[in-house]
Amino acid sequence: MSVRPKLILSAAAIAAMLTALVAFAMPAKPEAAPAQQAAATPKKESDSTADHSKFKELQKNFKTGPEVTEACLICHTEAAKQVQHTKHWTWESKDPKTGQVRGKKNIINNYCTAVLSNEKDCMACHAGYGWKDSSFDFSVQKNVDCLVCHDNTGTYRKLPGNAGHPVYKRREFPPKSGKFVEAVDLKRAAQSIGMPTRTNCGACHFFGGGANGAKHGDMDSSLQHPGKYLDVHMNEKGLNFTCTECHATKSHEVSGSRYNTSAAMTGPAHIRGKADASPAACQSCHGDKPHSTKHALLNQHTDKLACQTCHIPEFARNDIGTELSWDWSKATIMGPDGKRMVRKDSAGRRSFDSQKGQWKWESYVIPEYRWFNGTSTYKVIGDKIDPTKTVQLSVVGGGPNDPESRIWPTKVHRGKQPYDVENNYLTVQHTGGEDATALWHNYDWQKAIGTGMKAANLPYSGKFAFVDTELTWPITHMVAPKEDALSCAQCHSKNGRLKDIQGIYMPARDGKHWLDVIGWSLALLTLIGVLVHGAIRIYSSKKEG
Amino acid sequence: MFKVIGGFFLGLIVVGVLAYTYAGSLMFREIESPFGVEETVARIQQNIQGVGNGWALSGLRNPGKAVEAAGGNTLPVMMVEACSTKYSGPILKDDSVRFLSILMPCKVSVYKKNDGKTYIGMMNAGLMGKMFGPMVGDVMGEVAKDQEKFVKFDPSKPAPEMIKGMPGAATGGAGGGAAGGC
Repeated sequence: MSVRPKLILSAAAIAAMLTALVAFAMPAKPEAAPAQQAAATPKKESDSTADHSKFKELQKNFKTGPEVTEACLICHTEAAKQVQHTKHWTWESKDPKTGQVRGKKNIINNYCTAVLSNEKDCMACHAGYGWKDSSFDFSVQKNVDCLVCHDNTGTYRKLPGNAGHPVYKRREFPPKSGKFVEAVDLKRAAQSIGMPTRTNCGACHFFGGGANGAKHGDMDSSLQHPGKYLDVHMNEKGLNFTCTECHATKSHEVSGSRYNTSAAMTGPAHIRGKADASPAACQSCHGDKPHSTKHALLNQHTDKLACQTCHIPEFARNDIGTELSWDWSKATIMGPDGKRMVRKDSAGRRSFDSQKGQWKWESYVIPEYRWFNGTSTYKVIGDKIDPTKTVQLSVVGGGPNDPESRIWPTKVHRGKQPYDVENNYLTVQHTGGEDATALWHNYDWQKAIGTGMKAANLPYSGKFAFVDTELTWPITHMVAPKEDALSCAQCHSKNGRLKDIQGIYMPARDGKHWLDVIGWSLALLTLIGVLVHGAIRIYSSKKEG
Repeated sequence: MFKVIGGFFLGLIVVGVLAYTYAGSLMFREIESPFGVEETVARIQQNIQGVGNGWALSGLRNPGKAVEAAGGNTLPVMMVEACSTKYSGPILKDDSVRFLSILMPCKVSVYKKNDGKTYIGMMNAGLMGKMFGPMVGDVMGEVAKDQEKFVKFDPSKPAPEMIKGMPGAATGGAGGGAAGGC
């Protein structure tokens, strides 16, 4: 045989073997119809009965945001009062079950840590104007920012450093970047108002923690124009939901806050407009038995599993990714030249900054699963900690015996941040600004903590160290198509997704050794019985024949 | 006689079962990466550029993007493609083995699994090469040695930037080869 036929035979053999292996190795998949792209949804015509560009109150060349609000309030007389009762204004929330007062104003997290003493920067995401320190008057109606939620031009920008005011003068941002943000045309914005779009909500909620996708993991700018794979509800060429389709709003109170999550809704789907406020939960539309009778077994899971557990198999499903850790102990480490050092990771995301420390990012993150009953307990400023353990900045409540609890997917953000070693509480630090004590300006922890603790009205011993912290968030956005939901075996296996969930018996994950022994013994005895019986039958038929 | 024939067939069955069980793991290799997907890709790219022997990057393919475009999800998969004319040349010049161009460019696959870890998948070039005669065996043996260097990481070095600006980069479409000399 010549070399060539041998080679061809070898190649053919390998190809056949590989084909067979692949065929056997791949789980059988139901035949799927070719993906059909829904026709692009045309931009909706406004169905408003009012054209705000024709209102004489809005024909002015507004100089400031409060001037615009005053014009809005001429017609919308109750709007500011309503907003002033919401968390978007107060940044405060009281837990109805525990009475704990939380909210952005009071909690301490392991991203930017705390608002106090950093108001001028943080208030870029406040629905108001002028909150620069504790003297802010929460009763002044003209300080409510209508445009941040209702501007439909997409040009309204609020930047750190302006205490919640929009950009009035062209400004270089980030500083020394060579990029400029144009001044907002307030007249145009005021004349173009409408219901909140993804751009309005996303301006803050996509960029929390100081970078695109950093904070939440299930919310980032990819939801601006999402495909079906990323979110079946927001899919731009499909249902094309805006945020407010689910986050139904009443008197400016937006449903679905993570401070009071609807973690375990039961019963059929809600009817919009009923007095129950149609909570921002899957069940509001789908009911608690959402699967067809063909998949009725899945409906038996809804008393233990949140819909999100199966239907959000991973979050941050894009190249943007999300931040998994923030190590503040690396802040103030300067470059070899003694100057600020900035580094990015392989995907181009921030990974180190002398001002802020070190970050770790990831895309397509597999959630960590927890029992959750909708109530989280937060560390608020001044709460005592045990520095010998990892400090839990938010603990999701619930457990296997709590009927209000379901197993939820969560993002756990890990951090290292300063605490007062004598008073044993996490410190508040003054980070932003150009003043002499701002950490990002002078790289001096002592001064930054001193100013922060003064603003928090808490004693500071003068000694600090760094402690490990964890912050747990329930995941609820980026719902995948049903075909991409978790399969049974992804949980029902020894090392499956729910391997660490305690308190329930899960077939294929849990087992009792003695029960397995009995079962296998019975199977073995049955096999022996069949073989013996067969052998006797063969033997006797031969003997007779 | 019956025993001999029976033994022969039993041997065949055993060999068949063994081949079925182990052939895949012999032809291909999978190792766990200590880094995330993007960093693993970037470090492999850096290694390829530094290994010499004519190796050059010829593409970065992301087959997951095509799945996403069709409305589905997949955990991230990225394929680093590289080529060396030093190795591809002799094979491409020989009519009897030119069909092996199907294996070009050399690919290293980086992907995440459901355990959240990152893995690297590679062809076992050394073993496969031996099946196609001495010339291919020698060439692929050299390729296998270089492949080892592709996936040898130095964690003390900072993470390099992933190189995307190549033909076929992260599009899910056809990868280019011009830059890689294949």
